[in-house]
Amino acid sequence: MALAACGGGRAAGEPGVIEIGEQRQSSSFTRNFNPLLELGDVRWPAKAAMYEPLLIWNALTGAFVAWLAESYRFSEDHLRLDFQIRRGVTWSDGKPFTARDVAFTFHLVKKVPALDLRNMWQFLADVRAIGDDAVEFHFVRPLVPSIEDISSQPIVPEHVWKDVADPFAFTNDHPVATGPFTEITSFKPQAYRVDRNPRYWKGLPSVKALHFRAYPANDQTILAIINDDLDWAGNFIPAVERIHVARDPAHHGYWFPAIDAMVMLFANTTVPPFGDVRVRKALSMAIDRQRVVTVAMHGYTHPADATGLSDAYDRLRDPAAVAAGAGWMKHDPEGARRLLDEAGVVIGPDGWRRGPDGTRLRLSLLVPVGFSDWVVASQIIARGLRKVGLDAGISTIDTNAWTEKVQRGEFVLSMGWTLPSYTPYGFYRGMLSRKTARPIGEDAPENWHRFGMPEADEVFTKLEATTDPAEERRLYHALEAMFAARAPAIPLFPGPLWGSFTTKRFTGFPDAHDPYAPLSPYLFPQALMVLTRLSPR
Amino acid sequence: MRSLLENRKALVGLGILGVFAAVAAIGPWLVGDPTDFVAVPLLPPSFAHWLGTTAQGQDVLAQTVAGARSTLFLGVIVGLATVTVGAIVGTAAGYFGGWVDEVLSLVINLFLLMPGLPLCVVIAAYLPAGPVTIGLVLVITGWAWSARVIRAQALSLRQSVFVSSAVVIGESPLRIVLLEILPNMTSLLASSLIGATTYAIGAEVGLEFLGMGDLGAVTWGTNLYWASNDVALPSGSWWTFVPTGACIALCGFALALVNNALDEISNPRLSAERAFVRATGRKRLDLHAPTPVLKSVQGGSNAPR
Amino acid sequence: MRFLLRRFGFYLTAAWASVTLAFVIPRLMPGDPATAMFSRFRGRLKPEALEALREAFGFTNAPLWKQYLQYVGHALQGDLGISIGYYPATVGSVIGQALAWTLFLSGLAVVLSFLLGTLLGLAAAWKRGGWLDGIGPPVLMLLGAFPYFWLAMAVLFLFGFQLGWFPLRHAYDDTLSAGLNLPFMLSTLQHVVLPAATVVAATVGGWMLSMRSTVINVMAEDYVLFAQAKGLSEARIVLHYVARNALLPNLAGFGMALGFVLSGSLLTEIVFSYPGQGYLLVRAVKSLDYPLIQGLFLTTTFAVLAANWMVDVVHVWLDPRTRS
Repeated sequence: MALAACGGGRAAGEPGVIEIGEQRQSSSFTRNFNPLLELGDVRWPAKAAMYEPLLIWNALTGAFVAWLAESYRFSEDHLRLDFQIRRGVTWSDGKPFTARDVAFTFHLVKKVPALDLRNMWQFLADVRAIGDDAVEFHFVRPLVPSIEDISSQPIVPEHVWKDVADPFAFTNDHPVATGPFTEITSFKPQAYRVDRNPRYWKGLPSVKALHFRAYPANDQTILAIINDDLDWAGNFIPAVERIHVARDPAHHGYWFPAIDAMVMLFANTTVPPFGDVRVRKALSMAIDRQRVVTVAMHGYTHPADATGLSDAYDRLRDPAAVAAGAGWMKHDPEGARRLLDEAGVVIGPDGWRRGPDGTRLRLSLLVPVGFSDWVVASQIIARGLRKVGLDAGISTIDTNAWTEKVQRGEFVLSMGWTLPSYTPYGFYRGMLSRKTARPIGEDAPENWHRFGMPEADEVFTKLEATTDPAEERRLYHALEAMFAARAPAIPLFPGPLWGSFTTKRFTGFPDAHDPYAPLSPYLFPQALMVLTRLSPR
Repeated sequence: MRSLLENRKALVGLGILGVFAAVAAIGPWLVGDPTDFVAVPLLPPSFAHWLGTTAQGQDVLAQTVAGARSTLFLGVIVGLATVTVGAIVGTAAGYFGGWVDEVLSLVINLFLLMPGLPLCVVIAAYLPAGPVTIGLVLVITGWAWSARVIRAQALSLRQSVFVSSAVVIGESPLRIVLLEILPNMTSLLASSLIGATTYAIGAEVGLEFLGMGDLGAVTWGTNLYWASNDVALPSGSWWTFVPTGACIALCGFALALVNNALDEISNPRLSAERAFVRATGRKRLDLHAPTPVLKSVQGGSNAPR
Repeated sequence: MRFLLRRFGFYLTAAWASVTLAFVIPRLMPGDPATAMFSRFRGRLKPEALEALREAFGFTNAPLWKQYLQYVGHALQGDLGISIGYYPATVGSVIGQALAWTLFLSGLAVVLSFLLGTLLGLAAAWKRGGWLDGIGPPVLMLLGAFPYFWLAMAVLFLFGFQLGWFPLRHAYDDTLSAGLNLPFMLSTLQHVVLPAATVVAATVGGWMLSMRSTVINVMAEDYVLFAQAKGLSEARIVLHYVARNALLPNLAGFGMALGFVLSGSLLTEIVFSYPGQGYLLVRAVKSLDYPLIQGLFLTTTFAVLAANWMVDVVHVWLDPRTRS
């Protein structure tokens, strides 16, 4: 059906003002630009355009990009981390940016624990500014991967925030920041605009201002995207070639690299028979991942491999581990049946498999109702499990209730994500470490499958105390081999990072041909890399 | 009952409902598993797939047919439950009068004023998703409508001669209600049932569209949810969206027709007019024509005595 | 007067019941806002941090009745608490704007639908057997049988997206600022056309049918025949006698219709991205934002109560029989 490319409500945009889609779907905006908060309703520019961190990790190059810090170095014993702070940076109100602002920020989140979003003071002993352009971080114990947390902390100005009575409730209506866009020129409940920072240390941005409109739901956002009312957005778009690119092939583009966190099927290993690795592998063999990817994810991603690593870690992937686990990552219903029989999960007289205790297994696969692609995926998975004789059904529940259940371990099977991190350290720790495996009933933010092996913990300890790339690589390969052998959870597919754009009015977006940074605007502080590269036509 | 079948509107309405009932009853066996992924997603209607495919490659016709069963079944059950609760409360209030009536009327009026859908959304969001939850919230928010109407009728029937005499004789309240009052309210009860079912279907579809139903099930509401989620209209895939909507509208329309017909039959003026128009052989009712004098009238339940 | 006082008493009771219901429902349901907060932080909160958050939101461990009295007391002063999802904005400020837009859209739609439906019903009944009487009811009934949101999406797609005649979202053009200026008011009207048209299309059938029904009954009354015999003009009979008397029974349903429309407009608002309460409620419920849910429920119910109260007053004014 040919769609007429009519205007239909297209507002004529002011040249140089780019329309960006906010991640939070809402019918109206509240004026809150507090970058230290995660709860509540903080506007996107606070962390993605106004306030900046010390370093920005680029998953596509696998390296840090120097930002407010020019360089960093760990001490020999890895108990100290030094940053060389960039000179010549000023706050948007003209005052100079110094190392003291960095130290102040970290001490601020220590004072107000609710703002310490990454729990840094669990491993930090002290943070000291040395003069104007150096900061020292002192650790309680070696924890090299924590550079991820430290480097991504937005830095706030001491001269403004030292007088704030309650930093948690502070809405920061008139932000003073170092970033490329800091001047709020208009703020209405339905739309607001942030103009560029004339004092920006990288030079005046080519884009004049950022403009945001409130969209309450995905379909309204998509309507705006394909209608050229949004220049840059990070939404899931079904049939993107048909409904977005086809409307204007010269300008409409998208890029969905599979570098977001791995989507997995979690089996509660404390519930028999899922403690048996054969049963977990059999579950995996019953799943037709290609169909899941084609139907539920519209072909936007690909099946995972036995390392469980998303495409963000391609550089560290060990082909040997992939090969070792290829057997249980393949769609092999016959093999699944054999493994299940071997593990003692045999078919009973009614045609359904029984657990080792003889009772019929009734498996409920939990899915949070808000993730429609997961719902479809879980339907396919449940069908695959039934084909090998497991009586499986899906249970869609409210997202909050689902979070409670999986964190408390009150489930047998569940869909789930993993926490994205710069290196596989965080991912594997949540998969294999005994330290993250809390007992049932206790809230666990990760390791919902409650699995831990001491060999893995040895590797983690070593990873926490080394900065040698070759050594890191060797250790990650060891973890990958462990994962492929023990299958603690079942990787399904790496999550795509959604990003779409139109080059009708602005150019410079990264995509598959020019992958200089991730396209998704919802990644901060990575969005800063894109904002500073965009320019009006 | 016979007059119902003679009424043209009722016939059309009942006919439509009959078709849907048949589809709901045997349809699913004819179309196969609606959740099966049969073809390339978002195919327009063709000979292979009469209503095309959804964004997940499922057959739209199969989904529509399967959805009919779940939606209509739940709608009828909720309708029955709603009218039952309403009838119990309404007749109790109307029959007993006095302070019982005061209290029950207050409760009825309170429930009438509560905004229905918001209340549904609030409650349904916390309970496990599924038809039981939806059914529960719909009954809670819907019973008051029928209760009010039934109460009014029960009140007036209470004053009638045969009821008062039954009371005087000393018959038990339960017997009076069951044998004297309710039988005289059949058309009202039928009308309430239809109204309640219409409300149930509409509200059920609305809640499921918001994502509060069991997303794994195939119902008309979840079909529309998925269609909207998969951006049906901007992508031009109208076939994922229109058939289900048309079915819902047809069912609602059919129910309204039957309700209208019931109205007409129980309103003696309207039925007299119909008979008059038929008898005089005119096409329409002319208010300014002189009143004819009928020589004779044959048969018909509308014949004057 | 007695009638009005009695009704007022009823509304007070209803108001109290709403407050209680608003307090009780979120607490009866499974799910705990503290855990929701914990999960939002992906569990990285230390126990002290979680406690600090709890206090910031006023989730105390005081006995339920104490919390209830606190809540009622605050509500009477207009303090509905702080929203979790929009922290640190107060519930009142979050709801304020949204409520205004919802009332605007729903109020406009209900009034238009009532007027249009009543006129159509009057015309259809007066010209019994005419084409309006024949076609009108079935067509409007069919239109009204479509779900609100279905009509909304179809209308949005056709008139907004394909033809481009009307804006696709929001209550007014984003480049304008709200206020008593002409561009803003014109833009507001332009943006309310499609959503209001949807609601009107879905509800006008009901009004038409009920008005038609009451007019038919009234026309059979003796005084109408008498007026005709006396030779009064048709226009006068219709407008002065029939319409006024037929209107009264329908007026009673008007107030209740507002409550109904507030519910249905929830779905319409979502489709049109109209910044009203409906969408706010769905999001609040999904994020377990207790204070906001309570506040929304309260304001919606109070709006319905107020509307019904006004309808009662108008009823008394119009119908001399109730004044005695």
